[in-house]
Amino acid sequence: MSILRTEKLQAGYEQHTVFQDLDFAVKEGKITTIIGPNGCGKSTLLKTMGRILKQKAGTVFLYNQDLRSLATREIAKKLTLLPQNPVGPNELTVEELITYGRFPHLNQGQKSSIADQKAIEWAMDITKTISFRHRELGSLSGGERQKVWLAMALAQETAILLLDEPTTYLDMVHQLEVLKIVQQLNRQRQCTIVMVLHDINHAARFSHEIVAMKEGHIVALGSPQEMITPEVLKQVFCIDARVMLDPRDGVPVCFSYDNLQTEKEAIGGET
Amino acid sequence: MLKYSQERFVGIMLTALGLIVAAIYISLSYGVFDLTFAEVVKTLFGSQSNGEYDVLIYQFRLPRIVIAGLVGAGLGVAGAVLQGVSRNGLADPGILGINAGAGLAIVVFMFFYQGKLAGTDWFSILAMPFFGLIGGLAASILVYLLSWKNGRLDSQRFLLTGIALGSGFAALSLYITLKMDPTDFHTATVWSVGSLFHANWQYSISILPWFLFLLPIIFWKAHILDLFQLEESSVKSLGVSVGREQVILLLCSTGLVSACVSVSGSIGFVGLIVPHLAKSLTGIRHQRMIPLCAMLGMLLVIVADFIAKNIFAPAEVATGTIISLIGVPYFIYLLFRSKA
Repeated sequence: MSILRTEKLQAGYEQHTVFQDLDFAVKEGKITTIIGPNGCGKSTLLKTMGRILKQKAGTVFLYNQDLRSLATREIAKKLTLLPQNPVGPNELTVEELITYGRFPHLNQGQKSSIADQKAIEWAMDITKTISFRHRELGSLSGGERQKVWLAMALAQETAILLLDEPTTYLDMVHQLEVLKIVQQLNRQRQCTIVMVLHDINHAARFSHEIVAMKEGHIVALGSPQEMITPEVLKQVFCIDARVMLDPRDGVPVCFSYDNLQTEKEAIGGET
Repeated sequence: MLKYSQERFVGIMLTALGLIVAAIYISLSYGVFDLTFAEVVKTLFGSQSNGEYDVLIYQFRLPRIVIAGLVGAGLGVAGAVLQGVSRNGLADPGILGINAGAGLAIVVFMFFYQGKLAGTDWFSILAMPFFGLIGGLAASILVYLLSWKNGRLDSQRFLLTGIALGSGFAALSLYITLKMDPTDFHTATVWSVGSLFHANWQYSISILPWFLFLLPIIFWKAHILDLFQLEESSVKSLGVSVGREQVILLLCSTGLVSACVSVSGSIGFVGLIVPHLAKSLTGIRHQRMIPLCAMLGMLLVIVADFIAKNIFAPAEVATGTIISLIGVPYFIYLLFRSKA
């Protein structure tokens, strides 16, 4: 049984179908990263699995139950999605926003319980946002803000986290910080994480499994060692990538890349 | 530490309450015929029975103040809800075509039936508000259905549809009023600007059930409006049934607006100004902001109605005109500030 999987999933926007007949199963307790060129359907897949986007056909199963048969509030106790570029009112304080994460666990209008308070403190603690809990969102830097949004998602205390490009717009230190938090969540709480990343070296370092998408299809999936290779990268991105293994831990690193030299080579990469 | 504390909120609410009491007292005692403080208190609490004062206060001034208070509270709260649901700070019941819809229904009603319903029984008094209510609800359902796209409510579409339908309804109303006889035409015109001239106890009682039923639901749902300040994917991810909550909140505010419009005509700008004022005073938490909107709305309409009654006494200005005079500059100010 998979914790989250899709069956013959078809999704898209209005008339435009991004992918169809997509079968994909998320491995429980692992970090899975989806990579692929812009417009390949990574975000669409993530959003459809997180019921943010309604599928056109097919089914998403959460713990083997059809997502559409579950109440959205029940889903929110098991799964959360952090959108690509979340926005909230500037006047809201950090702690208020993180408290919103408790919504699925509250009965309407109910005051927060000790469990809620503990979850909020934990979320602020693990994301290191506790020191500026009383500041307003509008006064935060991009990196601080992203950690606050992550904390809100964590306060939901879900077993599954879907993160849509959580490191976009952040400097390299903050990118690392966010990914370390993700790793820590996976190690300490066995959270199942699916994220979309553009940086393949981050994908290699922080995931157990990498899924490569192209033009609405999953073209390859496997461990970082299997996936971050010149062959796969050529097939997915049509690039001539140069990859080596980090001598310290054997993690593959793409240290340079270039366009494929000839048309023939590019076409050869496709097939 | 925190800019908007609970103490501050309580302080603001008490201040607003004090101002409302003062406004009520002034409205009761000043007018074409002035009363002293002692006379007002004695008449209100029944220790002195003077027929003239009783009539003045109980038949003329008090019902009008009560209606003004209810209408103000209703429009203020409805405005806050509409702005929250549409995620647009410029949403207002007037802009969304609810007033125009109610107006059209009332004009149609007057055109066909007014002459035949000259009685003073409950039915003829309440028939007009009832038609207003139906018109307002129908208009907002239409706006909602037309702005529904791809399984979600698009806030831009919502506003534009409201404006478009509102203009359509207003044009139709105008066309019908032009075909009326002069008396009906005058009544219809005054009504369309918003006036409390016809205030009476039956009106208060007819709209009270809406307030008793809808306000608690809105207060109960206030925390969901907080979540609506985030973008839609975050709200969905938190487990809010976005579509369902939008419909509930929208219906609640429409019910309130339609009830208000049915007895006061189309008073604009209250629902637009009051939420902004409340936000700047007590912050963006709806559990505080919405009760404050009720208070500020009350205060605004009671004061505006007092001015409307007395500024050119014995002639009367429509209450809606006074509010517009305050509202238009504030609206323009908001537009400029949101651009910056």
